[in-house]
Amino acid sequence: MKFQIEDVTVYFPYDHIYPEQYSYMIELKRALDAKGHCLLEMPTGTGKTIALLSLITSYSLSKPQSPIKLIYCTRTVHEMEKTLAELKLLHNYQIKHLGPQARILAIGLSSRKNLCVNPTVLAAENRDSVDAGCRKLTASWVRAMAAENPNVPTCQFFENYEKAASAAVLPPGVYTLQDLRAFGKEKGWCPYFLARHMVQFANVVVYSYQYLLDPKVAGIISKEMQKESVVVFDEAHNIDNVCIEALSVSVRRQTLEGATRNLNRISQEIDRFKATDASRLRSEYNRLVEGLALRGNLPITDTWLSNPALPDDILKEAVPGNIRRAEHFLHVLRRLVQYLRGRLETDNVEKESPVGFVASISSHAGIDQKTLKFCYDRLHSLMLTLEITDTDEFLHIQTICDFATLIGTYARGFSIIIEPFDERMPHIPDPVLQLSCHDASLAIKPVFDRFQSVVITSGTLSPIDLYPRLLNFHPVVSHSFTMSLTRDCICPMVLTRGSDQLPVSTKFDMRSDPGVVRNYGKLLLEMVSVVPDGIVCFFVSYSYMDGIINTWNDSGILKEIMQHKLVFIETQDVVETTLALDNYRRACDCGRGAVFFSVARGKVAEGIDFDRHYGRLVIMFGVPFQYTLSKILLARLEYLRDTFQIKEGDFLTFDALRQAAQCVGRVIRSKADYGMMIFADKRYSRHDKRSKLPSWILSHLRDANLNLSTDMALHIAREFLRKMAQPYDKTGGSDRKTLLSQEDLEKMGDGSVHEMLY
Amino acid sequence: MNNGGARRMNGGGEEDDDEDYVNGDLDAWERTYTDERSWESLQEDESGLLRPIDNKALYHSQYRRRLRSLSSTATAARIQKGLIRYLYLVIDLSRAASETDFRPSRIVVIAKHVEAFIREFFDQNPLSQVGLLTIKDGVAQCLTDLGGSPESHIKALMNKLECSGDSSLQNALDLVDGYLNQIPSYGHREVLILYSALSTCDPGDIMETIQKCKKSKIRCSVIGLAAEMFICKHLCQETGGTYSVALDESHFKELILEHAPPPPAIAEFATANLIKMGFPQRAAEGSISICSCHKEAKVGAGYTCPRCKARVCELPTECCICGLTLVSSPHLARSYHHLFPIAPFDEVPPFSLNDPNHKLQRNCFGCQQSLLNPGNKPGLLVVCPKCKGYFCLDCDIYIHESLHNCPGCDSFRHSKADKE
Repeated sequence: MKFQIEDVTVYFPYDHIYPEQYSYMIELKRALDAKGHCLLEMPTGTGKTIALLSLITSYSLSKPQSPIKLIYCTRTVHEMEKTLAELKLLHNYQIKHLGPQARILAIGLSSRKNLCVNPTVLAAENRDSVDAGCRKLTASWVRAMAAENPNVPTCQFFENYEKAASAAVLPPGVYTLQDLRAFGKEKGWCPYFLARHMVQFANVVVYSYQYLLDPKVAGIISKEMQKESVVVFDEAHNIDNVCIEALSVSVRRQTLEGATRNLNRISQEIDRFKATDASRLRSEYNRLVEGLALRGNLPITDTWLSNPALPDDILKEAVPGNIRRAEHFLHVLRRLVQYLRGRLETDNVEKESPVGFVASISSHAGIDQKTLKFCYDRLHSLMLTLEITDTDEFLHIQTICDFATLIGTYARGFSIIIEPFDERMPHIPDPVLQLSCHDASLAIKPVFDRFQSVVITSGTLSPIDLYPRLLNFHPVVSHSFTMSLTRDCICPMVLTRGSDQLPVSTKFDMRSDPGVVRNYGKLLLEMVSVVPDGIVCFFVSYSYMDGIINTWNDSGILKEIMQHKLVFIETQDVVETTLALDNYRRACDCGRGAVFFSVARGKVAEGIDFDRHYGRLVIMFGVPFQYTLSKILLARLEYLRDTFQIKEGDFLTFDALRQAAQCVGRVIRSKADYGMMIFADKRYSRHDKRSKLPSWILSHLRDANLNLSTDMALHIAREFLRKMAQPYDKTGGSDRKTLLSQEDLEKMGDGSVHEMLY
Repeated sequence: MNNGGARRMNGGGEEDDDEDYVNGDLDAWERTYTDERSWESLQEDESGLLRPIDNKALYHSQYRRRLRSLSSTATAARIQKGLIRYLYLVIDLSRAASETDFRPSRIVVIAKHVEAFIREFFDQNPLSQVGLLTIKDGVAQCLTDLGGSPESHIKALMNKLECSGDSSLQNALDLVDGYLNQIPSYGHREVLILYSALSTCDPGDIMETIQKCKKSKIRCSVIGLAAEMFICKHLCQETGGTYSVALDESHFKELILEHAPPPPAIAEFATANLIKMGFPQRAAEGSISICSCHKEAKVGAGYTCPRCKARVCELPTECCICGLTLVSSPHLARSYHHLFPIAPFDEVPPFSLNDPNHKLQRNCFGCQQSLLNPGNKPGLLVVCPKCKGYFCLDCDIYIHESLHNCPGCDSFRHSKADKE
């Protein structure tokens, strides 16, 4: 269908549109008009992605004089493929209606692991080894060597791509990763480098968050994006954590050991070069004297991860004299590693600011701040000079240099925490030194500054006013949409008491109370007998889950549960969890029924959908607060309080509730679906907690479902499931219009849509 | 913005103290019941007695039926229907069937309505046969073989109502498939499963069994008593049956009775073919003979197979000796109304009664009772679209559900014939 939003003709590939999608587009359009940033919350299953894509591409089409580029960031490769598939549908529709002028180029970009077509390189098991495998075949010196000696292996795909030179372009169209691989195979061109090259010219680029947020990657991939771009962060409820992780480094004992090994290897290489080709080292030295950290434009294959600090903070200066010579630099690194090793051998938890840490380094190891700052660039230069291709072997020393550069660069917003052991297991020494970033706004600031519009969107962004403070930006539009439903297909409940009327909670002083554990067990036991197919349970942590399952096992509750449904458990092992999930799905399919025990903040809670019969009920046992004794968290809370005036309690509650909302949101993925959500903790009935849930859950949380005991919840569940099993009219009848056709849209002005939604 | 939800929460009051809200909020749960105010729909009549309020429900169910038949006649005036049905009724007697969310318990409710269903079924499908199966302790058992006698089925069922163990859909389907595979191709193979449990413990891959049922053209329908299960939905979709879940006892009754009228014939079976049938004569009163179905000597009241002269007790059935299908002609005739249903009556808007043209018809054509409510207020009434006779609602239901003939049309036809 096709309709007007103010001066933009929107092409929408489906015959009907949800009212909330329509208002979403209106808000988005206003943000684009204002060339500002926006925050939009809309529940999953309402077609966020297609609304976004169709508005932005239509906007770009209607203003051909100033085309905008769309940069769409997703969290996983799977989501990337889904987005591109949807875009393809939209693109076909637009071409059908507009003809060839609607042609755009849209590509997905991912790591070599997902794009490589060379079978020998692809055989490697992880991402870093694939990267290294590729470098071994395509580095400029390897290729130079191969030109002389035909026995040196190179990558045929890359050679062909190079040979085609400027002719190697993608014709317009929408390319998923799979399409890129197929295209590459057909033409014999390397899809990875082709995609990297085409990113600059594409109208739509879909890639992962890291490509924009992690300065190490963004520096090489996203350097040349134009300002007139719209950046979309989809499923962005955890964006602050992504930002923080991008700038955090942790150093363990293994890292230091590995770094020492790397240093030995480098020193051997230096010796070898000295003996054979001393001129190379000399020329590097000369270059560094001239103040060029890098050799200008590197061939695309030689670029490595770039500087971990943000582009604005990198000094454009000459490398200090004391590390210009390779041997000297090596000595500096050795001293640094030695110093860090000394710091790790401590019995107490230590917390230090970067300033203090740098001062201590300079007094104990004799390395000053400026030297530290240049560590990263110097290492990079040295590795290139030494023609090292197996970069995956050198990750450890790279981590050390990242660390050095970051503490050399930033004085605020970070802290260094050394913990001799994991607090939960004090008997096992596992020292870790962490440089943790507290300020999510640091990493995302360049994105906000550089691009015209940044759209942050997700199903759970509540409370929506906290994100601008955390990320330190001013949205021109921030809005939360509810879902228009044909029937009340979600049923959230707050359970505060067990069947014996004793309160249940995972509060620290109550969680190990046998009464609470028993009541939780009884709740699940009752629920498995009335809920068909799949049930998902989320616990606050792995240790709590292990504990409670053990107790249930001892008291025989688990056995009783198994009479009704099979039990599957998420573990920290990815393979095991995948297998458990697979079998869980099979048990749901064949009617045996199953329960999946999972952990909030775990992999399952973040990325796996439990839609339709795979999740008729989700139980959130407790409030998933972060581990509040964690030193890193405490440091971050302190920083947030001092810098952004965000109270500790507010942040913790916000963080816990968004995790809870994320967990329970797994069950509803479309409007035809239905599911129940039980928040089993007495704290949820308190207003300050509950009000932080997203509005699409709150609007279905009736007063009557707020303070339930197990038997009441059971009764409600029975009624709800029976009601939902009845056939219903998908378009929603006359009084609650949930699908709008083109005529409906033409008939009504903006006013009536607003009336319906709010 | 849509903080309507949040605002409502504010209204609920702040619960700062952990323990305080427990009492305050308890009535929130009761509030849903308070909100419905079901007692207000009670009405008193002139003498101060409570008037029964189920009029509406009755009217509603009737209306529903009317709509349904309307839709079936609207889609195709001459739908081919499977009149000879072989239906297995599978009753889940697993642990879940003893639950008490239906009063007094699920199984008692099921038994009650199965009894009514079996009677209704034979009333509507005199040529068909039913068999009973139960699932208990994970095993499916055959309670009664296919047969045409409602009494024997009901008796067999009432003796076996203990529930225990798990339920297994696959075992039941396998068993049914084994039985139904043998029946002749003109018969319609059907299974109706009354499923209480919410899971199925199967020995093998149920998907294969479903495919097997699909291949043997068995139409599987399920009525759930608790909630929608994916596998049941899948089964019904694959085999062309219907899946429904009962809300409460009256809804369950409605759902199970929906299975009494014959379903449209499956296309593959729609080819017309001839069936050999015998129309036995009633044996002479007082004659003593050994009946072939019960293997015991009986006095009188039996039927003699026209081919092998064996004695059977009830019709319709299959002769145990020669295998001939034995029916009586009224049975055949009764099955006809499915093919030629009488048109649904139209509702008459009450104000048209004041129209002088209609003054004559103050009484129901069927029962001759006055169509006016006490106090001369016009009540609800319907009119036959063919003969324009007026009927009260009770007669409407009776005509459509039991009589299957419109007295108005029939008497007019007779009077016309008399004149000629």
